Amino acid sequence: MLENFKNFLQTNTDITDVQFEQIGMGLKCEKVEKGKLLLKENQVCTHSFFVETGLLRAYTLDENGKEHIIQFAPEKWIISDRSSAYFDAPSQLYIDVIEDAEIIYLEKDFVSKISEISPSFRMENERLLHNHIRHLQTRINLLISASAEKRYMHFIELYPDLLLRVPLWMIASYLGITPESLSRVRKELARRNFKPNSK
Amino acid sequence: MATKKIELVVSPPAPHMVGDGFRVHNFIPGGYHLDMERMSPFIMMDYNSKHYFSPTTQARGVGVHPHRGFETVTLAYQGKIAHHDSAGNSGVIAQGDVQWMTAASGILHKEYHEEEFSKAGGDFQMVQLWVNLPAKYKMTPPKYQGIANADINKVTLPNNAGIVEVIAGEYHGTKGSASTFTPVHMQNAKLNEGGKVKFSFPANYNTVILVIEGEVKVNNEETVGTDKLVLFENEGEDFSIEATEDAIVLVLSGEPIDEPIAAHGPFVMNTQQEIIQAFNDVNMGKFGYLE
Repeated sequence: MLENFKNFLQTNTDITDVQFEQIGMGLKCEKVEKGKLLLKENQVCTHSFFVETGLLRAYTLDENGKEHIIQFAPEKWIISDRSSAYFDAPSQLYIDVIEDAEIIYLEKDFVSKISEISPSFRMENERLLHNHIRHLQTRINLLISASAEKRYMHFIELYPDLLLRVPLWMIASYLGITPESLSRVRKELARRNFKPNSK
Repeated sequence: MATKKIELVVSPPAPHMVGDGFRVHNFIPGGYHLDMERMSPFIMMDYNSKHYFSPTTQARGVGVHPHRGFETVTLAYQGKIAHHDSAGNSGVIAQGDVQWMTAASGILHKEYHEEEFSKAGGDFQMVQLWVNLPAKYKMTPPKYQGIANADINKVTLPNNAGIVEVIAGEYHGTKGSASTFTPVHMQNAKLNEGGKVKFSFPANYNTVILVIEGEVKVNNEETVGTDKLVLFENEGEDFSIEATEDAIVLVLSGEPIDEPIAAHGPFVMNTQQEIIQAFNDVNMGKFGYLE
């Protein structure tokens, strides 16, 4: 366990194996089963979840009870409701487990704590934050301006293996399109790209 | 010729559901000492031991999923399975039939309990195997061999011992009904109580038997019950199976494919790069489309 977390921390920092051992000692890890709700709307939750293995998602429910998926978090992703995790405000999101997972609970002060051990993590965290904001920027733009196909193309680039891991209605929900439009997009791509017997 | 000795007798691992229609014990590659490299060319074996499914109007099964880089072989021992694929093929395999699907460069398919079987409910028992393909055949066009039980070549054993169904390979000069890309023997020994059969395969071939029904004695020494798998050593050629009660035994022996294996989910290739390519190709519709 913790191989992915170690890899995540060491990728753009100079955190050594010994320092990682030190970081690892204070961590709370848990195995969670598919279907488990980790966070509910209006709860206050002071931590984020790092996905060591498995798959989580964040979603909202509208007044008709319909789910709208905000984010998927496969291996090596962090997922949280930031208003709750960083501002002690009631959560706007639900977070649940869609594939059996091993998760690490990251406390609000995890950045400071890791940075105390290795200052290089502060720079990396800043890069990760900007990367996250960049993705949100792209996502807003796609949701207000792009065709279903363009949204799908961005999705498969960001999440190359999720098409085989989650039901299509969830992908449609994430893309903000109907399952029927997602089928049309995929059928159209197959029409253009499927060349039987000549692959 | 020397005796092929038993290396391991493996009890079925705890079952899990594949979709909602297949309650399987994964022997290969999940079982102890049964990883893909050890078992090549048999890189996956899911065994649905006999299980009663209640009647339903909503056919149970597995939805659309891709495969690339190998062949799937489904042997129906009880119950009926219907399938559809992105190349437009569809069909039903019933008790005793075998479906040999060469996914090769890629196919999307789905498998369900056949409609009438679903409505009536009943015992369901099957084996699904993945047979690896060598690199040079991994990207060839997909194909099907639907083999009805009546078309499987059979050898009647002396002394009323029973029969051997030769699905692939050869038994005493009788060739298998399926064509294969590398040497593979796949045979059902259907034995009467007291019946005895001998097999002989090259020492280096990876060889297992799975007891589908009844109880047998292997090499005159080891009694093996229903649902157990026997792995043989890669030394010696000959082994014997004697039915201590009426029995059905699946016999598998194949020449190992000595190439690197990169496997992820439904894809088995030689390199990680080819796995990434497979995901991209599925996402981009290059495997076709199936509702």
